[in-house]
Amino acid sequence: MENPELLQIENLTVHYGKDTALQIEHPISIRKGDRVGIIGANGAGKTTLIKSILRLVNYQGSIHTNLTMEQIATHMQFNEYTDTMPTRYIMEAILQTKISQDKKLQELISYFEFEDCLRKKYSKLSGGQKQRFTIIMVMMQDAPLTFYDEVTSGLDFETRQKLVEKMVSWYKNKDSSLCIVSHYYEELEHLANKLLILDKGHVIDYGKKDELFQKYCGRAVIILNYSKEKETVFQNYEKLASPAHLIALSCETEEKEKEIIELLLKHNMDYTRSSSDIEIIYTNAKERYSKQNSI
Amino acid sequence: MKENKRKTVSLSMITYELRNVTGNPFVHIFGIGLPIFFLFIITRIVVSNLQDTSLIKTASTSVFLGISTIIPMAMILMGYSVIQSQDLEKGIPERLQLFGIKQHITICNRIISELIFLSAAIILYFIVGIIFMDLQTPVISGIIIYIFCILIFSTICFILGHAIATLLRKFSLTYCIVMLLYFVFMIFGGMMGITYENMSAPMQAVAKLLPVTYFNKDFYTIWTGKSYNFVPMLQSYLFLGAISGVLLFIALKKDRRKGNLS
Repeated sequence: MENPELLQIENLTVHYGKDTALQIEHPISIRKGDRVGIIGANGAGKTTLIKSILRLVNYQGSIHTNLTMEQIATHMQFNEYTDTMPTRYIMEAILQTKISQDKKLQELISYFEFEDCLRKKYSKLSGGQKQRFTIIMVMMQDAPLTFYDEVTSGLDFETRQKLVEKMVSWYKNKDSSLCIVSHYYEELEHLANKLLILDKGHVIDYGKKDELFQKYCGRAVIILNYSKEKETVFQNYEKLASPAHLIALSCETEEKEKEIIELLLKHNMDYTRSSSDIEIIYTNAKERYSKQNSI
Repeated sequence: MKENKRKTVSLSMITYELRNVTGNPFVHIFGIGLPIFFLFIITRIVVSNLQDTSLIKTASTSVFLGISTIIPMAMILMGYSVIQSQDLEKGIPERLQLFGIKQHITICNRIISELIFLSAAIILYFIVGIIFMDLQTPVISGIIIYIFCILIFSTICFILGHAIATLLRKFSLTYCIVMLLYFVFMIFGGMMGITYENMSAPMQAVAKLLPVTYFNKDFYTIWTGKSYNFVPMLQSYLFLGAISGVLLFIALKKDRRKGNLS
């Protein structure tokens, strides 16, 4: 039995002036426990979709939900706060609590190692600290549905990785639904179980990550960093669409996979095997959509 | 399903807004320092030009009452609108709204905190006035009407400031416009050297439409309980209130069209 539905989007259109920023024709539903990774290039309509759900932009169509606005938590791409006081006062006012009396908030502050930042003003925080500040408050809301819009953009690799690890472990045993917009696919590998693929305001596909992988990539894929030598070695093997710096070899059967791996070992070539790679799903889904729609 | 707390006007949000107001250097310089500085300077100039020393009390009290209008003008019209425009530019009200704090709740919290800080500034101004100036003791009705008028004037300043900031949504533009209005109110109110009597007829026509003029020109009469025709003063409040109300209406309409929930 499927989990209860939290949100349904149907025939949604958003215009910015004369431009159509988003057009969703087929229904999309987000259910309890879904972890939806929203992916697409810049201008695909990812943030517009979130803003529509939050009623921050005007739209035509229907977004049906029984959730109240208080039951939806959001981490926007840009989050700004007043600079006239230390962050602890902002946090206490927004969450309407006292840090000294709130065990859960204390736990979150310590979990995100934010103790020393509580005395600082928002503008004095680093990029990662700013993100953690909003994440703490968003997590404190403990909402049934939470949006994270490019939560790690602008952060260095180490900070990004640490932040995502913390988020993954925080949500591990929780049944809250998440919608995460990100350009970093490796983050979504850990956080998302569904994907919503957008391109130029249109939905390319929406579904479970493993089902989408099977649909666009087959059983498994072996990914290599591109080189002329590798291209020559595998010239007769079936390839999937991939970014220019990669070669993605399709492994439709176990035998085929073994054959490829033997060849790789023989030539002492590094490789990655995946049955869920989001970047390859995205590239192939986009290519198939372009062909079908003759773009 | 967990129902998150709906955020309403609360002590914690009022305290937050109060910290926001006091963290703005504009209000300390222009709303507290400047009126007290002007009080000393202008009273000294006016009193030194008086030939009849029996009029010192009258002159000092008139200057004291007139200058007090700088407090709401600087603190609310200028200070609030500048903070509000900065917040709008950064998207802070939208961010608070996503945390469940609706804009009308934020506005209510702000009005309350602004009025608390304004009251504290006026009390400080009165303490300085009582200690250092030779002021005329008011009649009860005089002090009640003064409090009522300053509160109404402050509320109009809030509406006007909020409307300007919401319409312009940019700190630089808002600052420019409210600074201009601040000086216009001071010049036409008779606080920048030209008294109402010395103004040209067109200037007097404009001055009559501003409540500050009556604080400066006539409030001594009300303060001392003498007979006074309130109609022109009432008209000035209605006029400025109506202008501010219309601007606020346009601003909120524009805001809704943009998709921002109020």
